[in-house]
Amino acid sequence: MEWLSRSLAKWRYKHLLFSQAELVVLDLELTGLDPKQHEIVSAGWLPIKNMRIEVKDAQHYLNKEVQSLEQSPVYHGIDSAQLASGYSLKTLLLALQQAIHGNVLVGHNVQMDWAFLKTAFQQFNLNVKPALMLDTMQIDKRRVLKQGYPLAQDALTLNACRMRYGLPLHQLHDALGDALATAELLLAQSQAICLGGKCKIADLT
Amino acid sequence: MTAEIQDIFQFVLKQAPFSELPESAASYFSKHIQVVYLSKSNQQDWLQDSQPNLYLIRSGIIDLISAKDEVIGRMSEGDYFGYPSLLTGDAIQNHIEVQKDGLVYILKEHDFDFLRREYKPFEQYFVRAHANRLLASRYKQQSETWSERKISELMTKEAVTITPDASIRDAARLISEHRVSSIMITEHDRLVGVVTDRDLRNRVLAQDRDPCASLAEIMTKKPKHIFENNRVFSALHLMLKHNIHHLPVLNEAYKPLGMLTSTDLLRQQKSDPVQLIGRIYKAQNLLSIKNYAQEIPDLLRQFSYHIEDISLIGKLLSGLTDALTSRLIYLYQQQHGAAPCRFAWICFGSQAREEQTLHSDQDNGLLLPDNIDESAREYFAKLGAFVCEQLNECGIRSCPGNIMASNSECRGTVAQWSERFSRWILSPTPKAMLNCKIYFDMRFIDGASDLYAALSQSLANISKNELFYAAMATDINANSVPIGIFQQFKLEKDKGKHKYLDLKKRGVAIINDVVRLYALKAGVARANTLERLEALNKGALLAKSDINNLKDCWRFLTQLRLKTQINREGLPGNCINPESLSSLEKHQLKEAFYLVKQAQQASAFKFARGSL
Repeated sequence: MEWLSRSLAKWRYKHLLFSQAELVVLDLELTGLDPKQHEIVSAGWLPIKNMRIEVKDAQHYLNKEVQSLEQSPVYHGIDSAQLASGYSLKTLLLALQQAIHGNVLVGHNVQMDWAFLKTAFQQFNLNVKPALMLDTMQIDKRRVLKQGYPLAQDALTLNACRMRYGLPLHQLHDALGDALATAELLLAQSQAICLGGKCKIADLT
Repeated sequence: MTAEIQDIFQFVLKQAPFSELPESAASYFSKHIQVVYLSKSNQQDWLQDSQPNLYLIRSGIIDLISAKDEVIGRMSEGDYFGYPSLLTGDAIQNHIEVQKDGLVYILKEHDFDFLRREYKPFEQYFVRAHANRLLASRYKQQSETWSERKISELMTKEAVTITPDASIRDAARLISEHRVSSIMITEHDRLVGVVTDRDLRNRVLAQDRDPCASLAEIMTKKPKHIFENNRVFSALHLMLKHNIHHLPVLNEAYKPLGMLTSTDLLRQQKSDPVQLIGRIYKAQNLLSIKNYAQEIPDLLRQFSYHIEDISLIGKLLSGLTDALTSRLIYLYQQQHGAAPCRFAWICFGSQAREEQTLHSDQDNGLLLPDNIDESAREYFAKLGAFVCEQLNECGIRSCPGNIMASNSECRGTVAQWSERFSRWILSPTPKAMLNCKIYFDMRFIDGASDLYAALSQSLANISKNELFYAAMATDINANSVPIGIFQQFKLEKDKGKHKYLDLKKRGVAIINDVVRLYALKAGVARANTLERLEALNKGALLAKSDINNLKDCWRFLTQLRLKTQINREGLPGNCINPESLSSLEKHQLKEAFYLVKQAQQASAFKFARGSL
């Protein structure tokens, strides 16, 4: 009856106040877009507790076992020399497991990252299940569509979404920088959606 | 391991004091912060006593508000707050108001202390910032009363004087000896001229004039001047209006006491409303005048938070209206040619008394020479119409009673005006009394001041008999003070259910009326009520204690009235609901009304022989 307890946990989380929930905001750098073929280059994440982004608990891991970077350094700027100073993929995944298992996982287009992670976790036989996933991209997509605006191309990139809330332009650096930018976006979204009322996690799903 | 986030680190590195510190300081800061999003809806959650923090603004706009609800400052990207209590351990006094949502970095006390210990310049930076903020608030306290200060307190240079028969060289020597930039020329201790170092350059050197020549040749004769007891505000006004930088300060006997320079004033306060007056006097077209006029209400609201003597607002507003009027007259002449003869623009009522409010309407007129011809009259008809219409567009509403220079009745020669006044004085009907109340408060605005002097003289010469004063006193006593026999307020009701007190009609106006009556009797040629009382102080018509009481009452009521105008609460203009007052204010208000009632009755006794 695992699904039952899982769905109960999910229900509980949904009714949790945003200010009481522990969330983990994650971003991955990848060598491509296909989880079957491409690899995780790096992972960065940080927690949000009591609506505060805890920078001191931020984590950033490079995967030194990447087989083939291909053309991806163009996007993430990480070269093989830097990778060499990183960690094994298993170390990365174990650290991540601790952070996200049973917690609320947040990402900008989180399904994509989760597809890669699921494959990787399976590869190492790790059982990792976030209680709930929040997607800042989906939140904005719903908001924009609800207001009756057509969705322009590029309207849902991280910076495009941040601009809608007047957040400063974010220089795309690395997985951790993007995770922070996503976390800031989530805080702004929660304020905009609940207008000062007590925001529940459910309001953001 | 704690990872460093480039985005934060790069931002922090650019901010003082980190830009001056080793990178390790910025790195420590970047790794130990929390990032939060401040919005209007959660602004009350921050700056809490239970957890003193250092806050650094990453984006957004936040106002820092003191316990007294005054805006200490507007902060944006790169500004810190929260450090005073971290430094002193004192309780947090201020709170914030978010103007534009944004991100803020929070550093906890523990981590602030670490940086303080490790990096001396870090500590110094915040200690200095704290000291500056304290200084700024003390400076503000001082400057709150700047406008009330007498000119004599500001003068930094003593009077350097010389006689007109001295040579230019003598004057230059004296100027350099005393390290001043100007010199006053006196004859029998009276000021006759001024020479500035600029005059020495423009009128002597540039024109190859003989330095042995007499000073009288180059001096500015009959210079603008100010008296020691005038307020700083008047000096600023005069300097801006005439674009002069040196203003001789005289005592009542016209003896020079010193020189007030624009630098002395700049040192005092860069007050926005006063600068606005300056900008209006320089406006080159109608559009810019109107744009400046639009700034007035907002500016006044800000200004009112920063001054103690709120009755100054009335002076300021009248100053602004004067400036608008003068400039409109100037612009009209630019477009339609100079006036065909001399004229004086005068004002009446609240503008003349310098107690204008944002709701006051225009009361003005034109004074023309006795020998004026028809075509000239036509010019002034158009000028009057133009100025009144434009003033209306600038937010100073047209007068419902049509006391405006656009009305032919209000454009008269000295003889015509005198005739009107003597008609009211000689046959004091109720209608005439109403006119007296408005027109006897009269002030010169622009044009030929000798025309105005001629009218004042002529009015003083009209013999006012006992009947006139008795009629005025009776009229004043027809208006009752809203205090009952048992010292309770008598409230009025409007169509809705609001109960209120009319502070203007039943308070300030009665004082103005009583004081006007005494001023007319004593021949005081002032329009401002406080100035009239000051002048009455010299005579024996009114006891000194009464004068002081009236002054205090007037100030108190005016202050209350303007305060309620600024925090409107849906009542008719000038009215308050006494329930909204503190018990001290209620008590003071009753006292004030009681004194007004006494003064009112005393005037009836004195002038109407108690015939009421």
